[in-house]
Amino acid sequence: MNFLWQLVKLSFKQQLAYRVALWAGLVTNLFFGVLRAVLLIALYNGQAEVNGLTLNSALSYVGLTQAMIAYLTLFGSMDLMNTIYTGAIGTDLLKPVSFFVYWLGRDFGRSLVNLLGRGVLFMLLYSLFYPVTMPARLEQWLVLSLSLILAWLVSFSWRYLINLAAFWTPDARGILRIAFTVSQFFSGFIMPLRLLPDWFTAMIQYTPFPSMVNTSVEVYLGTLQGERLWTALWLQLVWFAVLAGLAHWVYQAGIRRLVIQGG
Amino acid sequence: MSRLWGLYIRLIGIQIRSQLQYRVSFLMELLSTGLLNGTYFLALVLIFERFKSVAGWTLGEVAFLAGLIEMSFASMDMIFSGFDPDSFSTKIRSGTLDQMLLRPLPIALQVLGSRWELRRMGRILEGLVIFGVALNLSPVNWTVGKMIYLPVVFLSQVLAFGALFIMGSTLTFWTVQPVEAVNILTYGGNELMTYPATIYPIWLQRFFTYAVPFIFLNYYPALYFLDKPDLLGLTPLAPFLAPLAAAAMMTIAVLFWRFGVDHYQSTGS
Repeated sequence: MNFLWQLVKLSFKQQLAYRVALWAGLVTNLFFGVLRAVLLIALYNGQAEVNGLTLNSALSYVGLTQAMIAYLTLFGSMDLMNTIYTGAIGTDLLKPVSFFVYWLGRDFGRSLVNLLGRGVLFMLLYSLFYPVTMPARLEQWLVLSLSLILAWLVSFSWRYLINLAAFWTPDARGILRIAFTVSQFFSGFIMPLRLLPDWFTAMIQYTPFPSMVNTSVEVYLGTLQGERLWTALWLQLVWFAVLAGLAHWVYQAGIRRLVIQGG
Repeated sequence: MSRLWGLYIRLIGIQIRSQLQYRVSFLMELLSTGLLNGTYFLALVLIFERFKSVAGWTLGEVAFLAGLIEMSFASMDMIFSGFDPDSFSTKIRSGTLDQMLLRPLPIALQVLGSRWELRRMGRILEGLVIFGVALNLSPVNWTVGKMIYLPVVFLSQVLAFGALFIMGSTLTFWTVQPVEAVNILTYGGNELMTYPATIYPIWLQRFFTYAVPFIFLNYYPALYFLDKPDLLGLTPLAPFLAPLAAAAMMTIAVLFWRFGVDHYQSTGS
């Protein structure tokens, strides 16, 4: 446990070291956030509400998804894949925790910095440009925190799982890029899922992707209420369990194929 | 001159042959590059089921903007790979640029010949598909003038983006690390030019008219091709300023690049 705590602390510090990169990243996120907000305003064209999403909520949606890019590593990560190719995985396997927990710990520290630093700062900056709605009641904030943690767990498990493809192929970058594209699109990062056609959202609601972004944003906006809210949270938990289970199984199969060439 | 050209072709040839060594891996990269960028347009197509138009532009008309800019950005991204600030800055950090400076050949030629990302073809094809969709959904009334002007606009866009890459790389002579703000102009510019200029707030429109003349590169030419009226009320010549805007940007880029090379100090690695 102490090891894990040290690991989280280290990755937290490591991430915090790049402060200029943090600000530069913020400015870029902000520019693209404004572009996407502008497009939505033009699309709404004066309509107050489209499929249960008001323009203000849609603008907050854009802000929140931009704020979550770094927290959820929405553009993907190939770090784990690279350790398999460089052989660095050899030393990681000697660590006194399971491989999954080891990467979970590293990702937790990194994510935490990006949620507290980059995410919150982004929302402050973004709110200078566009109105951002805020959850009013304390329970809403509590449920939101829960949903955000679950979103991170689902997102992490997905990234971990597909990075394992590196056990089977000498160049998994193409596979990873496709997988990250799918998760960006189906999670609601590119467009709010409610604005996509009903047949489309009906199709992707049976995938883990909405649990990565869309659920947490809708919890924040308060568009998920009552029973549907709890179902959505349960679904997040179930998808985490399914993906983590799958990842464990794939890891067991993959690790037997691992050959590390000398040192 | 023809010797240099021959050399350039050879350098590029080496790049292409080495990238084609791993066929399956290359095909995957091609496919993923196309898909990755195509998703954004796909999302737009889907969202048009609910909204029908944006600022008076139909899906086909927006696809014209999107397809054209996608093709030219991707072509630039392939041709000017060596000047991609991300890869150029590693040349500075690792000292590869110092080696290049020692050779009796133009430095720009060596940089251009040092990299040719063939997988960008995936994105060019994706742009071509979108452009095909555009021509299908809202056919252009072709005239001789339009047929001659289309390749001119395409080349202008390639050169304008290339100018931004060169300027972004030149900045790294001083900063060593790539400057993130440059991405706003390159990748952001590509995104910005995907939609009709009238959707943007006035301050953004002004910036991309007078500071960085993006508005003349895609939006105004598209008005001419699609026979749409100019709602911003600039000069009637505005659709034909694309080559001028590109030439101006490239001239500034080349002058800045020369200044940068003259003042270059090695990082010592």
